[in-house]
Amino acid sequence: MKRFAIHALLSVPGVLLICGWQTDQLGVDPEKTVIWETGIWTFNLLITVFVLPVIARWARWSTLLRYRRAVGLWVFAYASAHLVSFLTFLLGWDITRLSEEVTERPYVLAGFSAWLILLTMALTSTRWWMRRLGRWWKRLHTMVYVVLGLAAVHYLLMIRSDWAWPVTYAVCAVTLLAMRLVQRRQVIVRSN
Amino acid sequence: MSRVTDPHTYKRRRVLAAGLALSAVGGFTALRYGERLTAGAGQVQGYTSEAPRLSGNDKDAAASAGKSHRLTTKHAATHYNNAYEFGWDKTDPFRRSADFTLSPWSVTFDGLCHRPGTFDIDELMGMPFSHLEERVYDFRCVEAWSMVIPYNGRPLRDIIKVVEPMGAARYVAFTSVYRPDELPGQASAFSTLEWPYVEALTLEEAVHPLTFATFGVYGDRHLPQNGLPFRITVPWKYGFKSPKFIVRITFTKDRPNATWHRENPSEYGWYSNVYPSISHPRWSQATERRIWGDGDIERIPSRPFNGYAEQVAHLYPGSKQQYR
Repeated sequence: MKRFAIHALLSVPGVLLICGWQTDQLGVDPEKTVIWETGIWTFNLLITVFVLPVIARWARWSTLLRYRRAVGLWVFAYASAHLVSFLTFLLGWDITRLSEEVTERPYVLAGFSAWLILLTMALTSTRWWMRRLGRWWKRLHTMVYVVLGLAAVHYLLMIRSDWAWPVTYAVCAVTLLAMRLVQRRQVIVRSN
Repeated sequence: MSRVTDPHTYKRRRVLAAGLALSAVGGFTALRYGERLTAGAGQVQGYTSEAPRLSGNDKDAAASAGKSHRLTTKHAATHYNNAYEFGWDKTDPFRRSADFTLSPWSVTFDGLCHRPGTFDIDELMGMPFSHLEERVYDFRCVEAWSMVIPYNGRPLRDIIKVVEPMGAARYVAFTSVYRPDELPGQASAFSTLEWPYVEALTLEEAVHPLTFATFGVYGDRHLPQNGLPFRITVPWKYGFKSPKFIVRITFTKDRPNATWHRENPSEYGWYSNVYPSISHPRWSQATERRIWGDGDIERIPSRPFNGYAEQVAHLYPGSKQQYR
């Protein structure tokens, strides 16, 4: 029941986008709205994935960690919707152009690499894969930090003149990465 | 630091964490969507006193350029604009332009011309607004979307003739209005653009018959989101080369700088002619999304010089890389 509620909650932005699309509420250019909003919610949930363990530790709330995978899978879902809407609306599924986009436009390269990592993580997110990969599973899933970095770069590269939003997200990403590094050092120091 | 924290503290922290999460979601929603959700009520979103009309002139112009007569709806063309003076979002111009002072408006001509001076907008029109020519142009944004828009105005060359540029004049610079109190984008702390906006053309481009001094769109003069009361329309270049809210026109010998070009020369060339084969670091220019109406969007191939190659290609001899 609780699990269902979590999934329902995480699907809200997507459901609102679909409803908005159906009822023509997404403005003059709904295609662009879908691309931007799926992107921004990918980032929001990605940040959530990193905030959960911080809160769990601070408030000794280990239950939160159980929902990390659910949030992670929704990150992948929004990222996939983001990619599919980019492919549909901007490239018209002209796959030959995708290679041009990836090689010529750094922001596409950053975004696409991040999605490939997320895809690998989503595919190996089951218990079965966890057992099978052993300690490699943890190493593989540590790549989510790379995803966070790539997402920040992806958004920063979108700046034309107004930097408020992309820089805010980048600051969040850097803070979360720094917190993780500090924490790792503490663990290492303690274990010595 | 305290080693042991009692369970009470953790409970309080959980409540606090939940509260912070909720306010983060609320704050994000308000900041990102608030203005868009509350906009619209009580705003004048373009008068419709003068109905769009297709004049004989327009039909001839459109027929000679081989254009179809399908227009983008006025609603789409006035609710989806790039005018960074109002903000970076494409809904900012119509939402934030209600208080923009359109009248009185005058334009100063200076630099290398024999008859410099300041002219009222009515003098520039030279005729009643309803007598102005209407031209349907394809408008192509560098962001790879486009619209078909009826503009009301007269060829810029007719105005330039009056002020008599000197023989030494090779370029024309257009300076937009600077009013941070009315234009929130100019007052924004988060924008790196330098104000006022400046765009420029070669004199040859400026006196080309397609270069259009524009005083209205869809027969409507009251649309600041479209750059009125006075802008220039240069249909074979990316949209940012068609400056808006112009208050000064300067004739120069040396090439003037231009706002977006100065901001990022590798992305926004000085000429910025539409070349579908020259890839942009941000947007492929091979195709464009033609916006016909709200949510009515068609992906079509882009054309050299935005479809006006026959009329303007001769202005650009040699490699096109130098005119990107």
